Amino acid sequence: MSSIEPTVKDGQPARPKTYWRSLDELAETAEFRAVVEREFPTLVPEILGPTGRRSFMKLMGASVALAGLTACRWPKERILPFAHRPEGRIPGVPEFYASAMELGGVASALLVKSVDGRPIKVEGNPEHPESRGVAGVFAQASVLELYDPDRSHSPVERTGGQEFQRTWDEFAAFAERHFGALRASGGRGLAVLAEPSSSVSFGWTKARFAEVFPQAAWFEYAPVGRDAERAGTALAFGTPMRPVAALAAADVVVSFESDLLQMHPAALAHAREFASRRRADDGTMTRLWVLESSPSVTGASADERIALPSGEIAATAQRLLAGLLLRPGVEPAWMTPALRSALAGLGGEGALDARIETLREDLQAHRGRCYLAAGPSQPPVVHALVALANVALGNAGATVRYLPDPDGPPPAAGGSVAALARALEAGQVQTLIVLGGNPAYDAPAELDLAARLGRAGTLIHLSHDRNETSALAAWHLPRAHWLETWGDARCWSGTVSVAQPLIQPLFDGRSPIELLALAAGLPQLKGYDLVRQAILPLVGGEKGWRQALHDGVVAGSAPAAADPAAAASAAAAAAAAAGWAGSPRAPKPSAQALELVFLPDRKVFDGRFANNAWLQEFPDPITKLTWDNALLVAPRTADALGVAYGDVVTLSCDGRTIQAPIYILPGQAENSVALALGYGRRRAGRVGDKVGANAYALRTAAAPWVAGSATVQRTSLRRKLATTQDHWGMDKLGERTLQHRVPEFIKEATLARYQADPEFARKGEPKLIQLWDPHKYEGNQWGMAIDLSACTGCGACMVACQAENNIPVVGREQVLVSRDMHWIRVDRYFKGDPNDPEFAFQPVACVHCENAPCEQVCPVQATVHDHEGINEMVYNRCVGTRYCANNCPYKVRRFNFFNWHKGIGELGPLARMAMNPEVTVRSRGVMEKCTYCVQRINAVKIPAKNDARPIRDGEIVTACEQACPSQAIVFGNVADVESRVAKLQKSGRAYSLLAEINVRPRTQYLARLKNPVHGAEAPAGGAHGASEEHHES
Amino acid sequence: MTTAVIDNTNDNPRARSPLVLGDTSLTRVTDLVCSVYERPATRGWYIAFGISASLTLLLFAMIGYLFARGIGVWGLNHPVGWAFDITNFVFWVGIGHAGTLISAILFLFRQKWRTSINRSAEAMTIFAVACAGIFPLIHIGRPWLAYWLFPYPNQMAMWPGFRSPLLWDVFAVSTYATVSLLFWYMGMVPDLATMRDRATTRPRQIAYGLLSLGWRGSNRHWLRFEKAYLLLAALATPLVLSVHSVVSFDFAVSVLPGWHTTIFPPYFVAGAIFSGFAMVLTLLIPVRQIFGLKDLITPKHLDNMTRIILATSLMVGYSYAIEFFIAWYSGNSFELFAFLNRSLGPYWWAYWIMVTCNVIVPQVFWFKFFRSNTTAIFITSLLVNVGMWFERFVIIVTSLHRDYLPSSWGMFKPTAVDLLTMLGSFGLFFTLFLLFIRFLPFVAMAEVKSVMPHVLHEAGPTALGDYWGDAPRDHRAPDKGAH
Repeated sequence: MSSIEPTVKDGQPARPKTYWRSLDELAETAEFRAVVEREFPTLVPEILGPTGRRSFMKLMGASVALAGLTACRWPKERILPFAHRPEGRIPGVPEFYASAMELGGVASALLVKSVDGRPIKVEGNPEHPESRGVAGVFAQASVLELYDPDRSHSPVERTGGQEFQRTWDEFAAFAERHFGALRASGGRGLAVLAEPSSSVSFGWTKARFAEVFPQAAWFEYAPVGRDAERAGTALAFGTPMRPVAALAAADVVVSFESDLLQMHPAALAHAREFASRRRADDGTMTRLWVLESSPSVTGASADERIALPSGEIAATAQRLLAGLLLRPGVEPAWMTPALRSALAGLGGEGALDARIETLREDLQAHRGRCYLAAGPSQPPVVHALVALANVALGNAGATVRYLPDPDGPPPAAGGSVAALARALEAGQVQTLIVLGGNPAYDAPAELDLAARLGRAGTLIHLSHDRNETSALAAWHLPRAHWLETWGDARCWSGTVSVAQPLIQPLFDGRSPIELLALAAGLPQLKGYDLVRQAILPLVGGEKGWRQALHDGVVAGSAPAAADPAAAASAAAAAAAAAGWAGSPRAPKPSAQALELVFLPDRKVFDGRFANNAWLQEFPDPITKLTWDNALLVAPRTADALGVAYGDVVTLSCDGRTIQAPIYILPGQAENSVALALGYGRRRAGRVGDKVGANAYALRTAAAPWVAGSATVQRTSLRRKLATTQDHWGMDKLGERTLQHRVPEFIKEATLARYQADPEFARKGEPKLIQLWDPHKYEGNQWGMAIDLSACTGCGACMVACQAENNIPVVGREQVLVSRDMHWIRVDRYFKGDPNDPEFAFQPVACVHCENAPCEQVCPVQATVHDHEGINEMVYNRCVGTRYCANNCPYKVRRFNFFNWHKGIGELGPLARMAMNPEVTVRSRGVMEKCTYCVQRINAVKIPAKNDARPIRDGEIVTACEQACPSQAIVFGNVADVESRVAKLQKSGRAYSLLAEINVRPRTQYLARLKNPVHGAEAPAGGAHGASEEHHES
Repeated sequence: MTTAVIDNTNDNPRARSPLVLGDTSLTRVTDLVCSVYERPATRGWYIAFGISASLTLLLFAMIGYLFARGIGVWGLNHPVGWAFDITNFVFWVGIGHAGTLISAILFLFRQKWRTSINRSAEAMTIFAVACAGIFPLIHIGRPWLAYWLFPYPNQMAMWPGFRSPLLWDVFAVSTYATVSLLFWYMGMVPDLATMRDRATTRPRQIAYGLLSLGWRGSNRHWLRFEKAYLLLAALATPLVLSVHSVVSFDFAVSVLPGWHTTIFPPYFVAGAIFSGFAMVLTLLIPVRQIFGLKDLITPKHLDNMTRIILATSLMVGYSYAIEFFIAWYSGNSFELFAFLNRSLGPYWWAYWIMVTCNVIVPQVFWFKFFRSNTTAIFITSLLVNVGMWFERFVIIVTSLHRDYLPSSWGMFKPTAVDLLTMLGSFGLFFTLFLLFIRFLPFVAMAEVKSVMPHVLHEAGPTALGDYWGDAPRDHRAPDKGAH
């Protein structure tokens, strides 16, 4: 157990050390202190300056540097020296633990890979009904947060304008005094602001807390929530319900601006089920209709996508759904006259335009086999109509289950944070505990919480890092990362997962429940005790508890689905009596009064991941933008506004203004502009500070998602946007060529055409001859198949690959000069009319050519074919001529232009230990690329050889394959005709990318299928850009 | 040393034009040539040397910076893995070709006018190859391992990749450098002996004494010398064709549209000769002016070189045209796009600079006025140098920046380090050339003397050798065959 490492004590070994992580630490040697100082420089200006961007990358090295803080947080909190190896533990052999991460009150069930006590990779929990072994982008990237050097490392007390580093013992002493007095008064003047949580133990602790402090006020706030859905389902059913979709059963899926496949809390399950119906194996496919203002991953996968301003979508949905509910044949038995008149009032009797009419017909034709969903930006009434329509169409129980929402009824507009602001203003809050979150940054702008928080007598803030809110707090307390704490949470469908720590808190952080317990003076102070206490009733004893820990799932903990028809009928009368008012019809937006839509960011979510370099460099699936957010504008709107790509504009809304650069995005609704939340942070850390524009400055409690009457004013400034793929603003020649090539690269057909010609993808493939003898193989031959019909473009594979293969982060400046290092990238193309484009995604990594052009041109034989068909990259032999990359038709080779990992070397040997030890860290001047996760192949191959057995199909799983929520990537032995990959490569949809240059790639693509309404005939309108396919069949 | 400038560019069918003008005594040739280095260096030389030496320092500073930081200090990126580095390499290798062509091929073809310019052209070859050789070494990501490109027995039991054109380059360029150096030095030995004999200071006597390898001008020496010279010329001749053909394989062997072209070997060789002659002119025109060598490097010489430039310009122009034609005729859309993108894409300006400088501007040499106007020749030669640099830039960068998958298309922008490194390579080239002017015989005296009219008149066995093999018939006895 190698290790050192620090919690910074500001020099004072004030408290007696209970545990130490190394003898050096215990001795407080000069070397140890030097290491500490080097790792946590108190002065960072030199790395924040523009010249220091490169050094920042070194610091990302530092992100991993802290991995050395090995400790073993074993199920019980005992620290055992490794003098004797614990039974069953083999150094260097990774171990996997089930855990869970909660985001926005919804859990992802995870499996964490730990090597020698260090968690290094987050994967999905295969035992879990929802995740089934996949993890989303955020969960996967969160492991980097654990090792973030900018994390807060000790309690900080702020008095008299000065900050003092304290210890938890000192805080405990303070808490004893402070909360002891409050306990006497029942907690008068005490308030808590928490993030919504579905955790059982949190609820349990909260209840204990409330018992101790009956007078205390409890507020909840999350900038990205699903309040409208809770309010809408409450409107429809009388009580908030949570729709749990079964997309595999749906033939028609309609999304009213709901990003079902990416940002939805159940996106992983949605993607898997959706993809299962996109391959047309049984001759059927879903049809996905998406109405949205800004292109999302879901919209990009749609068969029928309608771009409308968000307000128009609400109006359209109201007319469509109200009309649908009133139609004979759909009209439910529980319809009441009051409800009927309410629906008529919503425009249910009006005419629909042609495409929406088609949608209505499609829905009506698929009663019981369709599913409707509305997104958070839609008003409650749309959610209510969606819920009622799902019931009336017979979808409830078939394609969707309605569960009682564990979050309960939503607070009034703005969440209860508005109430908190009022309480603060009224001086009713003497002590405020902020459990996580960052309200000073992300609360609605008009509340001016940053100023009002100062009115709380004592502000105590628990947080991972010292963010904008911590700067105001009297006591800032470090929060333990989810990988360091005990906890639990419910996934979208309600199953409880227990989160167990994989490592002792690196910086002595505590979890929210531990802080609550401390404040309330509970007898159980340890997270383990609290969680166990809360979970035990669910699992029925110690054995169940151990099973739950092992599985990561508390079996049978999901709530039963309500009977929605009964609920609806009961609710209908009440709803009608309450008089449903349609959302006030927003005036049609125009270039002078734009609609501004706030998007939860696909990279940093609500801003909490801003200091995560993997996520900052993760290209947004749609815009391919890294290290920035930008105002998304439709091409026509940009023309009307007279703004160009990269122009910095002043965006005004309700008298508030911010500046943001323009990104002209094909497919964005006209006169609707969108801006992602989570940027423009000032105290995120070295990575996230001053990245992008702060959309929260424009966001109000009344209009959290869609604001009207925004104006855009051009400034003289311009900003370069660091995209990994740059199509917009390309010259005509390039654009034309792109449009010409994309259908060749991403073969696509409608379902009808595919059925008429199942071999369509191979049509036009040239007859290729071999000029020389091919490689000879015995045994395994690896290959891959990527199903473009299943791929949603979400990018989970990119983050998985980054974590698995120690791929460095290069920073904005280097992305600007096209030096991003991702081994797998997801190419995104727009097809057809830029005002109403189709989207196409294609994940591209090294395809391991049989006639590899890279191998032939390497002058030092650093890239060679192995005996199992892999095109191998021998880093040690590479001298870096870059000839291989020049000659690669797929441009998948990545060159180390600098020593991206230099920082790690500088930080000493420990720093390397956070990297995946099974993958070489590449030096400067060396070429690298996808290896088909050769380390994973060998990890299976060697034991299989020892057991003298063949490798089973599916036993080797590459990182990208593992992370793919839609199971679009399949890896295996193509020599085994029974393997999945061999079968897929033989299927009619399989084709080789750039087959005509005869490089014979081992990765093959499966053509994309689409199922538009007019699949068989010519399309009705100009909606489908590439129309030949429609004609041909 | 007054000489009436005579226009010797006329092709008089009755008499050959003289190749040396003015007073045609042998002594004068020696005096003229030796005066170049025997006179104290002028202030102009010092200024020029100061500038180019500073630029050389800059080159090494840039290389030092590059080695310290990594290839990222250049503007290279993921689609564009080569840009200025290989552009400069091909440019400098190409420059070298004129020297070898003049000294070897023209020798074999018995072009007597080559004698006045072959020495300086060969020197240019050596220096250009020296500049060229730097780039492949520094362009690799881990230059400290550059020796892995050589096939040497090693404990890793690894050989280099013999299928790689880059390896062929290593052999082609190193062979070329070796043969050129030998050829140059060997041809210089009689002149070095002259310098030794004229040297007035001890260091010079020793230095030139060592360099002249004991040359005494005996008949036996001349006999051996002439044979060796002929052999080396024969050896060097195929190199003129092979080196740039091999360099062009770097591109032609790849699968990249715009590179994967069978026309490249002849196209590159023609371009190399084209650029090399332009560089010879760029160097000689000022030198003959400054050092009063107009009688040796006469208008006839300039005229001949402009004709070669015109001819090779047409070849290069033809190549440009045929590339386009084939791109269209092949029906390969990737190929066609590569060429359309070259001429109309984001780097259109580079392409049109190339076409203007390489194809359009040299057409002025159809006219005698331009062929005999040194200013016009000088300016044209400079433009051709520019054009040929851009040719390589266009081939390399425009093909790379947009290849097959539009998702990985990108742009290359040079950094300051790119530009300064290129500038520095010119500094190195001119530094070496200026040192050459000061310390070595700039014109092949012995060879020039052999083509002077009165030497040919005397026509005795004492003539400075008939290592031309062939002597002008109007001056020699019909029994020439006896030689």
